[in-house]
Amino acid sequence: MSAQAIARPRVAPNVARLLRRNAWTLGTYGLFVAVMIFTVAIHPNYGPFEVQSLVVGALPLAFAAVAEACVVLGGGIDLSIGAMMAVANVVAARYMNHHDFQTAILVSVLVLVGGTLAGALNGVIALRTRVPDIVVTLAMSFVWGGVALLILPQPGGGAPDGFLALASGNVLTPWIPAGIVLLIVVVGAIWIPVKLSRIGLALYAVGSDRTAAFRRGVRIGPTRVFSYALGGFFAACGGLALLMSTGIGSPLAGTIYTLSAISAIVLGGVSLAGGRGGVMGPIIAALVLTMVPADLILSGTDPNFGQVIQGTLIVLVVMAGGLAPLLRSRRRAIVPGASSG
Amino acid sequence: MSERRWPKAIGLVLAAGLLLAACGGSNNTGGGTKKYVVGISNTLTGNGFREEMICSIKAQAKASGVVSKVIVANRNTDPSGQIADVRNLISAGVNVIVMNPSDRSALDAVIKEATSKGIVVVTVDQGVTSSDAYQLYNNQVKYATLGADWLFKKLNGTGNVIEMRGINGVSADADRHTGFTQTLASYPGIKVVKMTFTNWSLDPAAQQIKDILGSGLKVDGIWTSGIDSTVVDGYTTAKKPYVPTIGADNDAFIGDLINLKAQGLSGAAVTNPPTVGGAGLAVGLDVLQGKSHPHLINLDPAIWDNQSTSGLSELQNHYDPKLNAYYSVTYQVAPYTTYTKDDLLKCADIG
Repeated sequence: MSAQAIARPRVAPNVARLLRRNAWTLGTYGLFVAVMIFTVAIHPNYGPFEVQSLVVGALPLAFAAVAEACVVLGGGIDLSIGAMMAVANVVAARYMNHHDFQTAILVSVLVLVGGTLAGALNGVIALRTRVPDIVVTLAMSFVWGGVALLILPQPGGGAPDGFLALASGNVLTPWIPAGIVLLIVVVGAIWIPVKLSRIGLALYAVGSDRTAAFRRGVRIGPTRVFSYALGGFFAACGGLALLMSTGIGSPLAGTIYTLSAISAIVLGGVSLAGGRGGVMGPIIAALVLTMVPADLILSGTDPNFGQVIQGTLIVLVVMAGGLAPLLRSRRRAIVPGASSG
Repeated sequence: MSERRWPKAIGLVLAAGLLLAACGGSNNTGGGTKKYVVGISNTLTGNGFREEMICSIKAQAKASGVVSKVIVANRNTDPSGQIADVRNLISAGVNVIVMNPSDRSALDAVIKEATSKGIVVVTVDQGVTSSDAYQLYNNQVKYATLGADWLFKKLNGTGNVIEMRGINGVSADADRHTGFTQTLASYPGIKVVKMTFTNWSLDPAAQQIKDILGSGLKVDGIWTSGIDSTVVDGYTTAKKPYVPTIGADNDAFIGDLINLKAQGLSGAAVTNPPTVGGAGLAVGLDVLQGKSHPHLINLDPAIWDNQSTSGLSELQNHYDPKLNAYYSVTYQVAPYTTYTKDDLLKCADIG
């Protein structure tokens, strides 16, 4: 009985802390559930077809969001994510066309390696030249945009059906789209080991306070390059996902994803100042951002409201995010003793 | 104090959002002879051509008398986003989808998905490789050939010309460039001294023509892919003598061809009607009602020049000084569209 009495106050603050630390991510989940309920309410026949539409539609943005999250968590920003996606997309479409599944996988691996190197290049340039990364990656976005047009001057190319089925097929039941499994497997296989390792810790440390991290012996340069390389890898995944959803390569297709990815990470609880957030929030946010236009179509709302609603949603989430610490500091001010909690 | 206002503000905006969504959800009339639901998919917003295209579809839906509801999926997006939009239209239970495809082959799979569910899919303005869709589009190769041929003839087969294209990497632009290049091959005396991409936007085109006029380059004629009156304005502002100019059937350019003829502007407008959208819906509704149409309908462009009497009278018949500069004046696509010009201009919805 006495053991229980001691254990209870110890557990409660842990749970409270867990909730507080993940409040934003939980909020994003809540938003997802709310939008989902709304969708099902206006569309009673919501079924496997709709679930699959959602996943196939969200897949490229989800990868783009994870890519941007990796860079932003490390304290940087990458405005060339969309353009790198376009390059990955056209390279894959060009070299997979009229080939079998094995070749497609081989091409994918090469594209992923190329994406990682392209991302690392962003990091190295920003680090070596000391030009702000926002400028470097903006400039690189034009470079990659041009490269995409050189590789494929107009939409074309293709991929074997087996490769397309990686996103558009389903696993076991029609209710589980292959795309979501692919997303979880790829992001999990890369992100979980990173998060658990020293380099992951270094990434967050550099992102939240570069000077403090340096004083603790974290090697800033390699860590930052690593975060850009990781971003490049996931951008390449996004380019491949674009190919899976459309079946062709398109040199201009990637361009919209840079800003959409930034919307998704903000909505998903990644602090643009770095060091705060994860990759699950942005993925869920990508799903939410894909559902909003779908709901507008289903409810027959004027599509011009789409942008307004999307923007309002982001502002609301950021406002709500700013509200929690504000309320906490107020409570502390009223009850001086509560500050230790 | 400011902390207290926050939750209120959030609550207000949330309530407004919910209200908006609720209002949007409850306008289903249905019943009677109005039995068809029409879906529109478009992927470029804030563009005059596309807006007029959507208006022509709405006007035709009203004129047909058999449409109960029009659902519009209209946002700036890529083929991947358009696939999602079309799938959403399928989910929303439409009977016919009129779309301006953002890619030639990327939408084939989703078109097949729609047609397998009994939905009639009509692609307008641009073509697709799918054999399941009904397709209505302007022959873009011929669009360029007509204008370029007129221009090169006007220059008696010699001189420096400028090719002002649309958006790099887009199929309509590529087709027009093919037509332009083919025509150029039979006029060895014509030299293309500059090629630009206007992105079918006014600002880049205005800048480009300013740069060209400032550079002192000798220019004898200009072929534009539709950003036309901006080029004429550039010459007017710079007080330079006009050169023969090719444009599209945009209202201000038509006006220029008529009004500036006395000041020495010669040129021609090639038709590229956005009202192909309304024609596409007419075909789609026909198919739903059991009439048959060929799967591929190519609309041949016409050319109206301000030198011949027949061309000039066509220009005068179509010019309407009240319209916006880039409003396309080919109001109807015979024999398909049946709406009134008034409904098109008002962008009338069914009601």
